[in-house]
Amino acid sequence: MSAEKQVLFDIKGLCKSFGKVQVLDHIDAQIYKGEVVVIIGPSGSGKSTFLRSLNLLEMPTGGRILFEGKDMTDPRANINEYRQKIGMVFQHFNLFANLTILENMTLAPMKVLKKSKEEAEAEAMQLLKRVGLEEKANAYPAQLSGGQKQRIAIVRSLCMHPDVMLFDEPTSALDPEMVGEVLAVMRDLALEGMTMVIVTHEMGFAREVGSRVLFVDEGKIKEENTPAEFFDHPRHPRLVEFLSKVI
Amino acid sequence: MEDLKIRFITNFIKDDRWKYFTNGLETTYIVSFFAIVLGVVIGVLIAVVRSTADTIERPNLVIRILNWICRIYLTVIRGTPAMIQLLIMYYIIFGSVDVSKRVVAILTFGINSGAYVAEIIRSGIMSVDRGQFEAGRSLGLNYVQTMWYIVIPQAFKNVLPALGNEFITLLKETSICGYIALTDVTHGANTVRSQTYDPYLPLFGAALIYLISVSFLSALVTRMERRLRVNER
Ligand SMILES: Nc1ncnc2c1ncn2[C@@H]1O[C@H](COP(=O)(O)OP(=O)(O)O)[C@@H](O)[C@H]1O
Ligand SMILES: [Mg+2]
Repeated sequence: MSAEKQVLFDIKGLCKSFGKVQVLDHIDAQIYKGEVVVIIGPSGSGKSTFLRSLNLLEMPTGGRILFEGKDMTDPRANINEYRQKIGMVFQHFNLFANLTILENMTLAPMKVLKKSKEEAEAEAMQLLKRVGLEEKANAYPAQLSGGQKQRIAIVRSLCMHPDVMLFDEPTSALDPEMVGEVLAVMRDLALEGMTMVIVTHEMGFAREVGSRVLFVDEGKIKEENTPAEFFDHPRHPRLVEFLSKVI
Repeated sequence: MEDLKIRFITNFIKDDRWKYFTNGLETTYIVSFFAIVLGVVIGVLIAVVRSTADTIERPNLVIRILNWICRIYLTVIRGTPAMIQLLIMYYIIFGSVDVSKRVVAILTFGINSGAYVAEIIRSGIMSVDRGQFEAGRSLGLNYVQTMWYIVIPQAFKNVLPALGNEFITLLKETSICGYIALTDVTHGANTVRSQTYDPYLPLFGAALIYLISVSFLSALVTRMERRLRVNER
């Protein structure tokens, strides 16, 4: 790893419990600028909770998360300022049902970044064009297919010019024929150098696009490696077992 | 038949008695309209406090105190008859202050309705998928912005039929205004009845006026529902 690599997330001893159930158990990890980190692991192992901790949708119950050198978990920190820079794409898209596609994309730039309507709309249209959905600008989310919704959700996040994008199983709720179109948008983003943290079950995509793959199991990172090593020479017995089941 | 015509003239035409009804109608409408507006404002505020207290993991002291005040308000208002509330407002709270009876009625019915509206809106907020809230927050919108632009509009749409019912109930409930000698439709009809000694026509007249008003309000709510449903097509 070259010396000038900049640490975006520095995660130190991250713990999260829901009541008595400990879901994340002292996780230490770094996410570097420009990296595509893929997280895999069995269902219920804490992947979503880990990802959601990175933008504080889940408040850690222990440890610290430094984002661009600053402690986000400091109670005095302004969470909204961090969140602007951290895009998030959800399994179930979560497009705002009461707003049109264009309004979905311009709301936060206008209200948070204080952009003018014209500027926000021009930029949104540009991004819509990029994913081939400009004719849907005035449609409502309910009128779109799952794949279209997820592509919109991705560009809605991009409207905020985030420094990093988090994806929580972005293709798991899609019909198989729509998975490809969403992965294509994500691949383009990766090629442009966007820093991405992706929870997914798409092993082929992980191998092709990932810079690093993490195996999360029982609230811990049990293995991490380059995709080739990770998939071809898994070491941890739990990972060997997991891969034998899913591939 | 001839008899009915004479009674009609006596009750509605003679001595401009129709004015009791039209003046009464004006009061009924003004009181209902402003009470609905006040009720919605109170209701939304309380619903937001209550659902905030219910959803966040560790509510701070301010939220806990506000939530506690809201619960007392809901218990008291929903646990006592509107008529008693009206009399208390008029004879005790405003007993020594000179304010218009309409204002007293608007405040009473607005505060009363606010309690019911609050619970309706709260159920609406709870019915909005949590992912909507999380998406808003993840884009950097703050709590209030997310509630205002995303959650409340959807909550409102989900509960519009229930809100419509509440507005209709409120409109009819204003018929107790006569107890503070405020001339609404019901009180107007009663005045005519006491002058003509005819119970039938004034009361049926008032009933018909309420029926038409409620139908009108119903139609309005239905139209609003249809307009808000464009985003489901
Ligand atoms: N809000 C919550 N309250 C209680 N338990 C939760 C909550 N969110 C997640 N969990 C529990 O935490 C564990 C890990 O969940 P999650 O992070 O969603 O796993 P994954 O995404 O790897 O499938 C699960 O056992 C789940 O039931
Ligand atoms: Mg998950």
